[in-house]
Amino acid sequence: MFLKRQMPAIIAIGVGLFILFGHFINNPNVQGFVNNDATQWFDIIASFAIFLGALNMLKLQVLKVVKKQRNWQYSILAIFGFAFAIFAGFFFRGANYITLTDIHPQNVNKLVEYISTVQEVDDPVLMVKGIQGSLASYEIPKIFISRSSAEAFSVTISGIAKDVTLGVKPWGAHVQIKGSLFSWMFFKIFTPLSSTMFALLAFFVASASYRAFRIRNFEATLLLVAGIILMIGRVPVGELVPWWLVSTLMVFGIGALIAPLIPDKKLLFGIIIGGIVLTSGLGILLDWNLAVNMPAILSLPNISEWIFDYPTAAGSRAIMIGIALGIIATSFRIILGIERPF
Amino acid sequence: MNNKLLVISGIASFIIFIYWATFGSWFITGNAPTFVGVIIVSATIFYYIDGAKSGKEIYLRPIPGLKAIEEAVGRATEMGKSVLFVPGISDMDQVDTVAGINILSHVAEITAKYETDLNVPTCRAIVMESAREACRESYLRAGRPDLYYDDMVHYISDDQFAYAAGVNGIMIREKPAACFYQGKFYAESLLLAETGNSIGAIQIAGTGSASQIPFFVTACDYTLIGEEFFAASAYLSNKPELIGSIKGQDIVKFMVMILMVSVFALDSLRQLGILNFDILVLLGLN
Amino acid sequence: MDLLKKIFIALGSMDRRFIFLLVGLSVLLPKLYPDLFTLPIKASSHSQRVFDEIDALKEDSKVLVSFEYGPSTKPEIHPSAIALLNHLFSKNIKVYAVALWPDGNFMATEAFSQVADGYGKKYGVDYVNLGYKPGGEAVVKGLASDIRTMYTVDLLGNDIDSIEMMKDVKNLLDLDFIFSLSAGYPGSKEWVQFACDPLGIPMSTGCTSIQVTDIIPYVENDQIKGILSGMPGAAEYEQLVQDALNERGIVVSPGKASINMAAQSMAHVVIVLLIILGNITYYLTRKSGKKGGM
Repeated sequence: MFLKRQMPAIIAIGVGLFILFGHFINNPNVQGFVNNDATQWFDIIASFAIFLGALNMLKLQVLKVVKKQRNWQYSILAIFGFAFAIFAGFFFRGANYITLTDIHPQNVNKLVEYISTVQEVDDPVLMVKGIQGSLASYEIPKIFISRSSAEAFSVTISGIAKDVTLGVKPWGAHVQIKGSLFSWMFFKIFTPLSSTMFALLAFFVASASYRAFRIRNFEATLLLVAGIILMIGRVPVGELVPWWLVSTLMVFGIGALIAPLIPDKKLLFGIIIGGIVLTSGLGILLDWNLAVNMPAILSLPNISEWIFDYPTAAGSRAIMIGIALGIIATSFRIILGIERPF
Repeated sequence: MNNKLLVISGIASFIIFIYWATFGSWFITGNAPTFVGVIIVSATIFYYIDGAKSGKEIYLRPIPGLKAIEEAVGRATEMGKSVLFVPGISDMDQVDTVAGINILSHVAEITAKYETDLNVPTCRAIVMESAREACRESYLRAGRPDLYYDDMVHYISDDQFAYAAGVNGIMIREKPAACFYQGKFYAESLLLAETGNSIGAIQIAGTGSASQIPFFVTACDYTLIGEEFFAASAYLSNKPELIGSIKGQDIVKFMVMILMVSVFALDSLRQLGILNFDILVLLGLN
Repeated sequence: MDLLKKIFIALGSMDRRFIFLLVGLSVLLPKLYPDLFTLPIKASSHSQRVFDEIDALKEDSKVLVSFEYGPSTKPEIHPSAIALLNHLFSKNIKVYAVALWPDGNFMATEAFSQVADGYGKKYGVDYVNLGYKPGGEAVVKGLASDIRTMYTVDLLGNDIDSIEMMKDVKNLLDLDFIFSLSAGYPGSKEWVQFACDPLGIPMSTGCTSIQVTDIIPYVENDQIKGILSGMPGAAEYEQLVQDALNERGIVVSPGKASINMAAQSMAHVVIVLLIILGNITYYLTRKSGKKGGM
């Protein structure tokens, strides 16, 4: 019972207080623990904890397959994907490379031709220059996933240089090297899938906006107007919106605001039409078609930038301060042991 | 209270004595304003916690999102469907996740009481373990430990969008009647909320990620904005010490507002040449 | 008139899949027919500020570029990375790359492989990639005090003391500028809170559009010198860099963000039109007392 209840509380309170007051103690060991070691301890624990999560996920997926539960076929994909990533990361390097020693200068162009058969060469002239600068020892930029394909290519280019040696990138670096199996998996499978999920946001933003941006009350209208200004102002299309359209919409907006105060609708209509004629006339007179003459307020990109710089920044600051205080209070409760989520 | 005041004064005097005896070498002087800030904030929150514990009545305004939690679980029970709880995509080192787990324990207690299925997909293994502990405790507290099983809290993936895809899949297949999004979220927030909306679930969200709040407000039925999310656990538990901490937090916010206005006024007077005193230097901001 | 009302009400209750189709087409058509959808790109003040800050750096300055994004946010941020490297390499500025996200490693490797060779830049002499380190703000704090507490080898396993350009770099104070390419946490906020603001190192950032609201208070406070906001910011910066390099006789092809801006513009226009349509339907149905919706 002590291990489950009191021990976690003692650890949480003790470490919490130590880290909090450690920020103010002028001792290198304390500072080192607070600034570096404490976070690294967490990272180490989290790294080991990944096994728990992975095993749990595997267990559920395997059970689904074994018991042939609904949609068990998808679980086979999940298990295969997991196994493939483990294989590519831990058991199969798939990062073979070829080094040429003492390349014959007259064979450089031929070598570039051979390389272009296994890899796209964007700039052959640059590659020739690069090889000529490294005739003594040159590593072919192509990484071969299988040893046999590397061997086959080395046989093809055997006459190019004095010596052709096969190597394999070290463990660890093999996940970073472009062309390795892990890198292939990352760029050809993981990247498109991630990008697809992120791209879904565009569609969901459209459907959410369509549903939510309605003129129900003043705040909703303000949200709608600001949203439209930002959406159009932030993209190049915003530059194409003419000043007279912006001024006309502004006049309509002012008209909507003062409408409750003017019961006579004919008078209101007259005011709006008058406003449009006045602003349009002013624009023609002062030649607002020229960007240098146009007032900044009639440019959607300028308005959207102003919205970002002032109302958005102010609101963002307010929410940040509120959230920070909430975090302080929650942390205080945890450090003092008043709240025990563990 | 007097005894506590004596103890606190004693500790403070001891700290000041240590500082004086070591000629200040044990303390990083550049952090003095922060230290003073920590002491003032801690003292304020502690004062109100103590006040609440000794029986003082503290008023908390009603938060619709929190009142709707029981209603949402009830709806799921009536429809015979499950409740989905998403504790965010960050690890336990983020306070948002801790706050989310606190709310999970309350939701789990209600689902135990109503005998509703609870599904908690997690993005981090440590969160999975903490959530399991929280659910186990809640089911035990509700007197229904028999209904708890480990796999109700399960791990999906560490990757943001793989997790979002997994949760979306759960929503589309199992069609939970109530979806809770309580924790730290990033770009996947709208993916989750829109999918939940498409299946007709009642959705209650809460996050400390300021940039995701608009997406939740748009797509969810109830959203806990900013501090409401961090106050949720205190609000739901009704424990005096927790409610006292919210009052303390509000007083601190009031102090911050006064400080901001004062600094603005004093600095403006300095810039106009009326005052010689630079408040920004005192606060260590210049 | 009644017919028009009925059409609007019918359109207003269309299935969300038609909305998805319209959005999909609005993105696809500019990509298929780019010549029909050419739009001028004008730099905002924030993008201009970023460009001016980088342009003011002298030759042989040392700039740290931190890669905190992955494949999902690559379309928004990677163009900024490419344009930035073009800008830095064209000015013969030394580039030190780190990553606070594991995916950032791959993005950094890809960015360097795309740009470095074109300027004849040598690894270890002109640029170095120190790789990813877990820990978020702890890494930033560690780099601020001593780089060698965080990194003893670079991404390829080379001892950093054997790398020529690391010889006189002990910590972040030895660098002239920091640029954070950030898609979330850890990212720009951690750099400004734990390194750039306390140490007074100038910093700029390129981030996703969603993150801009979080970062803009720091930009307004001059703690971050300008911001490239998502793909529009990347496109603006690409344009500025392209124009500057063309003036110097260096030919740079249009970047991916510039090419994609037409698609984004059309998508935004379609969304705005759908919002207006939705409101017209809402008004008509509210007026006639009927229920309309998606």
